[in-house]
Amino acid sequence: MPADAPPPSGRRAGDATGALIERLAGDLKPVRRRTTWRDAAVLAAIVAVELVLFLAMGGLRPDMPMAMKQPSWWWKLGSMGAIGIAGLGTGLLSLDPARSPRRGLRITILLVLLCVALGWLVDAARPGTTALLARLDWRQGIGCVWKMAVLAIPAVLGFGVLLRRGAPFDGAATSWAGGLGAAAAGAFVFVFACPSDDPLYIAAWYAVGLALVSAVSRVILGRVARW
Amino acid sequence: MADRGEDGVDGEALLDLPVSVLEKQPGLASDADWGALMKAAQDGDAASYRRLLGDVTPWLRRYYTHRLPLPMWDDAVQDVLIALHEKRHTYDPARPFEPWLAAIARHKWIDRLRAMRTMPTEVLDEALPAPDDHGAAVSDALTLDTLLAQLRPQQAEAIRLVKLEGLSVEEAALRARQSPSLVKVNIHRGLRRLGALVRRVHDAG
Repeated sequence: MPADAPPPSGRRAGDATGALIERLAGDLKPVRRRTTWRDAAVLAAIVAVELVLFLAMGGLRPDMPMAMKQPSWWWKLGSMGAIGIAGLGTGLLSLDPARSPRRGLRITILLVLLCVALGWLVDAARPGTTALLARLDWRQGIGCVWKMAVLAIPAVLGFGVLLRRGAPFDGAATSWAGGLGAAAAGAFVFVFACPSDDPLYIAAWYAVGLALVSAVSRVILGRVARW
Repeated sequence: MADRGEDGVDGEALLDLPVSVLEKQPGLASDADWGALMKAAQDGDAASYRRLLGDVTPWLRRYYTHRLPLPMWDDAVQDVLIALHEKRHTYDPARPFEPWLAAIARHKWIDRLRAMRTMPTEVLDEALPAPDDHGAAVSDALTLDTLLAQLRPQQAEAIRLVKLEGLSVEEAALRARQSPSLVKVNIHRGLRRLGALVRRVHDAG
């Protein structure tokens, strides 16, 4: 500090605060500023690498050319992608303490409902229906939920690291948004392996997967979010 | 229109609270100055950082005098200074500094309200010296009253008796004509509602 500079007015607040200021200024090191775009690029890279590895390990469903002709395949891919971007985007933006995640979280939840509603339209366009329980195929469904959860782990961990470095004002809502986004990212990767194109099956089991991973992530990330 | 939450709390009334305390005193640096000092601090300039922390300290004290009981002021200020240090990389120099600082201060305020739920209350010493700025202390009490007025009367009374006046739960129960367990419940719920209220104000802002 220059010799002619006025003494910090904070010293009037008390010796302890003055000593703290001296210690913090003495410990000061240059820091790399956090940017939302860099954090988003990190998460996008994690999901991209995961997808490539997953496909390289034989995760791709064998009838992919046929599946890509189904509207339901594009619906589930687009839905999971949009929810993932909305959820993780909301989570990343809210790592700035001056930004609340509540509005983004509401939009993400509305997006989930919109995707489910779009599924009904896709379902209505399908010829013929069979019994609901048979379509839900709970044995395969539980397997799908399990795989979605495992595939969400890299995104949850990546978001957790960024969350730890950030300063969320509302840790609970940020954890919900990030958890939902990470769950959708895992589901997005799983879309390339998912054998079902039935909108009812997808709406039911993907919703279960999103809810489950979001809830677990909320608990885990909520602890990381404290600062 | 007032923003009434699920507890019937008028969040908009609280929006008036920060305005008076966010006004700087004459002679203090502007927001742009603080932003420039923080930018320099991010680059490792200790002199700028020392000046910034010195400048924001009285600002923070004024912030908390309106929101917390006197014995908590300095601890809360120090909490913010440490948080500001640890999270300084999250400040974007392209944006105003004050909202960023105010958000951290508000976050730590909620932490303090939360801590009051479990923290044992010590009876205040009668000989405790009065704060330097007695006028401010009086207006702070009024502001804290405004905050407590947003709660249900039983909750506000329990918090006022135990957490602000330093009575034991049993003494407060006699005074408030509530059972001791009800006093504890009212303190717990009241402080939780205060935290939710502050968060709602942040969302609205």
